[in-house]
Amino acid sequence: MQLMTLQRDRRLRWPRVEAALLVAPLLLGLSLLLLWPLAILALRSIGVGGEGLSFATYRAVLAEPRYWQVLGNTALLALASTIGALLLCTPAALYLEQPGASGRRVLAVLLTIPLSLPGIVIGFFVILFFGRTGVATDLAEAALGRRVPPLAYTFWGMLLGYIYFQIPRVVLVLRGAAAAIDPDTLDAARTLGASPWRVYTAVVFPALRPALLGAASLSMATAFGAFGTAATLSRSYRVLPLEIAAAFTERFAPELAATLSVLLALLTAALLWSVGALGAERRFADEENR
Amino acid sequence: MQPPRPSTRDPVLAIGRACAISAALICFLPIPLLLAVATSDTWQQGPWTDGVTLRWLGASWATVAPFAAYSLRLALTTLLLNVLIGLPAAYALARSRFPGRPVVRALIGLPLAVPGIALALALILAYPTWRGGGWLLVAGHVLYTLPFFVGALVPALAAPDLREREAAAATLGADPLRRLVFVTLPGIRTALLAAAIIVVTLSLGEFNVSFFLFAPTAKTLPVDLYAAYITGRLEIAAAATVWFILLVIPAAAVIEYLGGARIGQA
Repeated sequence: MQLMTLQRDRRLRWPRVEAALLVAPLLLGLSLLLLWPLAILALRSIGVGGEGLSFATYRAVLAEPRYWQVLGNTALLALASTIGALLLCTPAALYLEQPGASGRRVLAVLLTIPLSLPGIVIGFFVILFFGRTGVATDLAEAALGRRVPPLAYTFWGMLLGYIYFQIPRVVLVLRGAAAAIDPDTLDAARTLGASPWRVYTAVVFPALRPALLGAASLSMATAFGAFGTAATLSRSYRVLPLEIAAAFTERFAPELAATLSVLLALLTAALLWSVGALGAERRFADEENR
Repeated sequence: MQPPRPSTRDPVLAIGRACAISAALICFLPIPLLLAVATSDTWQQGPWTDGVTLRWLGASWATVAPFAAYSLRLALTTLLLNVLIGLPAAYALARSRFPGRPVVRALIGLPLAVPGIALALALILAYPTWRGGGWLLVAGHVLYTLPFFVGALVPALAAPDLREREAAAATLGADPLRRLVFVTLPGIRTALLAAAIIVVTLSLGEFNVSFFLFAPTAKTLPVDLYAAYITGRLEIAAAATVWFILLVIPAAAVIEYLGGARIGQA
């Protein structure tokens, strides 16, 4: 009896001690490099370590029309690029998961190119096409017979850059969901006389809905936090990450930069968790079941 | 009797084909254009007006090389730290349902939900004196690569056939160290290679965190590229980008071949 308890205790306890030892270096590292700095960031944003505890910076930021304008700019860019990427990539992902699709391997590889490129390189690509001596700018000039202002440094140039980095993100999320749709269900719907349109509205899109929401929230959060593309292209159209950078490096206002960072981090985290919570749970489950 | 292939009649898939091809072209076309700009004498006069020149590529290599070397050293340091703290944690996450496991998972994934610029600022404010030696760069790069490293290893370590082989080795009398060296590590070598390459490519391309954390003696290749984009001549900036892409593409191709996917920040 006593022996059995002992054995059960060993079985229960040893893996825990072992797991704790194995996870300890990671927890120590993350506490020092992630949790403590984030705590400092939050404390600095409310004046601790500077002028004393107050929400003055938050009040100042929220009362400043300029920051509402910048927030609106960021949100518009995030929303427009997400919609653009979804419109382009949802049909593409459905096509790529067709068993008979020709060239799907090559297409799939090409579609992952943006993942390896930092945002600044993507911004430079936009400059190569739509900058002052860009190919598209020159072509437009030849066609119209007059000088045209370069598109690269406007909202439209930034939008193209943002869509470029959204493409692989949306495709990867949607391809997984499109592959999970049972072809037999589609065949059954077709055999029962459903028109192609009806197959999509009744079977395909309901099955894709969680993935569409997940892709949208991932795209929105990525666009809100994107810095490199904006840093390369933005001139008069300012976005939130650039304001944080300017507050810190140009205006030497760490409290202001910390406040804006906290607001931005809360915004992206809320976006990811509100819509993406379900998706993230499933991703972890998939990962473990693979 | 074969039914007609649905894709030939399905209007949405016909649109899908057009969308897939245009999206792939959008992703790919900048690269040949980049090569054309980098090998033209004066881009403003058109591509290759004086033939193909390698002068910009040669000139930019001289300035890019030291930053590329620094970026590679940083990527390898990041990888080493990932192995030291990420591999044991991945093992624990894959093998044991210990209490607090969801918290550990959430913590590892947390950097993906925090914009790079916010995290960089947090690191600077917390450890202002570490910046000089480039240690903050290492910290930022480890935080952003760890979720991908652990995420790539956990499924491989949890694979049932690997656990069976370990159990078989144990019944044959192999001690834990021998099981680790001769069964577990060989069993996850593909996943380990994929995880390592993901870490190195993400680190080489990282800009958002690096832009705030670099120091005059510790400057990465993307930070140098940014300077070229803002101030440099178009042809030289393009040539420097060609060198950067040549550094990243082989690794990306191997990840694709190994079937890995990584979604970092933009």
